[in-house]
Amino acid sequence: MRKSWLIGVNTFRESMRNKTLYILLVIALIVIGASKLFSFLTAEEEMKMIKDVSFAAIEFFGALIAIFSALGAVAKEIDRRTIYTLLTKPISRNHFIFGKFIGVALVVLLNFVLISAFFFGLLLFKKTIPDIEIFKALLLIFLELILMSSITLALATVSSEAFALIFSFFLYIVGNLTSYGKQMVERADNIIMKGLADMLYTVVPNYANFNIRDKIVVGVPVSWLYLLKVGSYGIIYMVVVLCLALYFFQKREI
Amino acid sequence: MRPRHAKKYLLALLLFIPIGLLQVGIDYQRKVEDLESDLLLLPGQVAGNLVLGGFKGLAADLLWLNMEEYWHSGHHHKVLPLLETISWLQPNYVLVWAIGGWHMAYNIYAAIEDDPEQQAYWYDQGTRFLKKGIYYNPDKYDLYFELGWTYYHKGKDYPNAVTYLARAVQYSSPDYVTDVLAHAYEKAGDIPMAIETWQVLIDKKSSFSDIAVRMIHDLKTKGKATP
Repeated sequence: MRKSWLIGVNTFRESMRNKTLYILLVIALIVIGASKLFSFLTAEEEMKMIKDVSFAAIEFFGALIAIFSALGAVAKEIDRRTIYTLLTKPISRNHFIFGKFIGVALVVLLNFVLISAFFFGLLLFKKTIPDIEIFKALLLIFLELILMSSITLALATVSSEAFALIFSFFLYIVGNLTSYGKQMVERADNIIMKGLADMLYTVVPNYANFNIRDKIVVGVPVSWLYLLKVGSYGIIYMVVVLCLALYFFQKREI
Repeated sequence: MRPRHAKKYLLALLLFIPIGLLQVGIDYQRKVEDLESDLLLLPGQVAGNLVLGGFKGLAADLLWLNMEEYWHSGHHHKVLPLLETISWLQPNYVLVWAIGGWHMAYNIYAAIEDDPEQQAYWYDQGTRFLKKGIYYNPDKYDLYFELGWTYYHKGKDYPNAVTYLARAVQYSSPDYVTDVLAHAYEKAGDIPMAIETWQVLIDKKSSFSDIAVRMIHDLKTKGKATP
């Protein structure tokens, strides 16, 4: 565990040198700040816009940061061949993958905290105290981002950087659409199609599970039971993905 | 791969079973807690793309900004499909229903002052829109009040106003809702209930207490308090 932690801290430090992440962070803050431009609306409408824009920015730029940092963590080590030096040391491939995951998670956490703090600042500036429902929405967004980074990490162990990047975005979009797809297939009569859809519905990460922000913004409360279920889903899915990452990385010839 | 490792990885893959079961539980919970998203196709590519990306709130906001623009440029009829779409995207956004009903029953109504038949049509559309909003938000006072107020003020339909305002005060609501209810009871001819409702405001020591005392006095002495 200590070895993984050291690799994680090192990955975090290295990511902090990546200017792309800073640019993404700054853009996210500008987007959230720009939501203040809607002051021509009524107070209630403006507050909704601020929350919608902020949640969307936290989610979207968080996703970009999660994907790019996970991609950089593994693919760059392989591309630059620095991985050879690492693996000649008494470090197993398992330590390497876990370490990379820890490092990426730290990067995602730091960016998430910074963007969320800015969002809270904006709410307080508007004399609105963030309620517990906002924290619930943020918690699920964070879990989604960590899951996203673990999936990208797994993809980066098995494929090229470009493929991992494209497929991560593809999964991000599909993962938000699976429930729509299921609704469409449920109306079909074909049993094979239905079975296939059910299987895909289980295997493809259902990112829509983590989306409660649209409801919370309009005042619909979400229970802790729902959070518990989605939290368990996210953690178990992450375990599976990391196991797959280990499996692929063990098999990969470096 | 060694068989020991193969077993381990197979075990990891078996974790998809609890994932599937959890997903069933999550789907159920989403239905129970009204977190479901219905399948929908939207007009406008930008909004459509945002919905596909899971940013429904943002899509609704963009449509809202469009609606504001149409409204202020006098294109009142263009506002309606947008309101329908926003309410479809976020049915729990109470303000959309409230503003939509108000646009129809008040603003469009006023814009066609020389056509009473059309005016009646838009008044009816406004109240229908508000009722649809109540269907999606039955546990909040807001839309009961909006509908009650529309019946009371615009339609002079006091029995219906009483029905909806009485439902509004069953939920946590500001004192002005009770105030309007008391007026509606009086206008509907139910003086004892009007007095009882004013009394509620006095008992609550609300900011309407002084008015309530005067109203009860007028109702008891003159049988009429609301101008």
